[in-house]
Amino acid sequence: MTAPLALLLVTLAQSGYAPTRMGLAPLEQQQEERVQRLGKQLRCPVCQGVSIADSPSSMARAQLDKVRELVKEGKSDQEIYDFFVSRYGEWILMEPTKAGLNAVLWVGPVLLLLFGISVVVLLSRRQRGAVDVTFGTTAAEPNPSAPPPAHADAKPAPAPAMADDDPFLAQVRADLEK
Amino acid sequence: MRRYVIVGIALATISLLVWVITGAFGKDPHAVPFMLNGKPAPNFTIKRLDTGEQVSLQQFAGKPVVLNFWATWCGPCASEHPVLEWGAKRWKDQVTFLGIVFEDSEDNTKQFLARNGWSLTQLFDAKSTVAVDYGVAGVPETYFITRDGKILFKYAAPLDQMTLAKGISEIIK
Repeated sequence: MTAPLALLLVTLAQSGYAPTRMGLAPLEQQQEERVQRLGKQLRCPVCQGVSIADSPSSMARAQLDKVRELVKEGKSDQEIYDFFVSRYGEWILMEPTKAGLNAVLWVGPVLLLLFGISVVVLLSRRQRGAVDVTFGTTAAEPNPSAPPPAHADAKPAPAPAMADDDPFLAQVRADLEK
Repeated sequence: MRRYVIVGIALATISLLVWVITGAFGKDPHAVPFMLNGKPAPNFTIKRLDTGEQVSLQQFAGKPVVLNFWATWCGPCASEHPVLEWGAKRWKDQVTFLGIVFEDSEDNTKQFLARNGWSLTQLFDAKSTVAVDYGVAGVPETYFITRDGKILFKYAAPLDQMTLAKGISEIIK
């Protein structure tokens, strides 16, 4: 047990390591709040989906220092985003911009949802119409397959107008009247 | 008429999906884009490790530059170090080779170079400001800069001799 532990310690001692580097001192409260807010919108390039404000990596600290430097120089939010976008592309932004091709990302799902709803509504309407034509009935009318009425002289329910041209239904109607 | 509209919308939607999916295939989703290709290489002034003097990129204007970002704790950087040593000697008169160490300490770097060779001019980026200016997203990364000071491309992996030779042949044209 001791030997493997000693071997591990020796290996770790000999292997390379990235020395930790402290970031620049925070700016005044208002400016530092802005630095942190901007940092939360910029993706850390050496991490997995973490902003440079949230990453403990040394590279992210260096980038946050760059944000501090630019804030101190009086650059606007857009100028600071532009600085990073000019180096890493829009990939660096945690939230894609809503302009240009990116608009598809924002509008696309809504359009697809509306399209899906309209298809469902259209198909269900068409199906209901097909059911009405096939059976020649509506929900308020009696079921043709139900037993005949108790009164012998009772007349069968009038056929719907849509089925008047159907020769089969005309034949059924004629047979019933006999 | 209505049927044509529905078919049209369906075709447009399918085309959009095919376009998005085919565009995404073959791309590494973790790859960090690089936007400085063809743009002027950002100037810098940082400390030279052997003499301690301040060095700027402008000093090397008029000559192609191979700019390598590295660190001693990075294994792939150690494996490409002999390639850069070889290249610095091979193209000594035609190309300027600069190493920029960042996210590291001076002592570590000097010890590493004493052990592994010090043919390149090595600079120390104490606060990683140059690395951020160059859009570095990891180590090692090598920038091939033309004689008129433009970044032709960057190679974000350990160099081998063939890649280095090919890159140099493009910047010394």
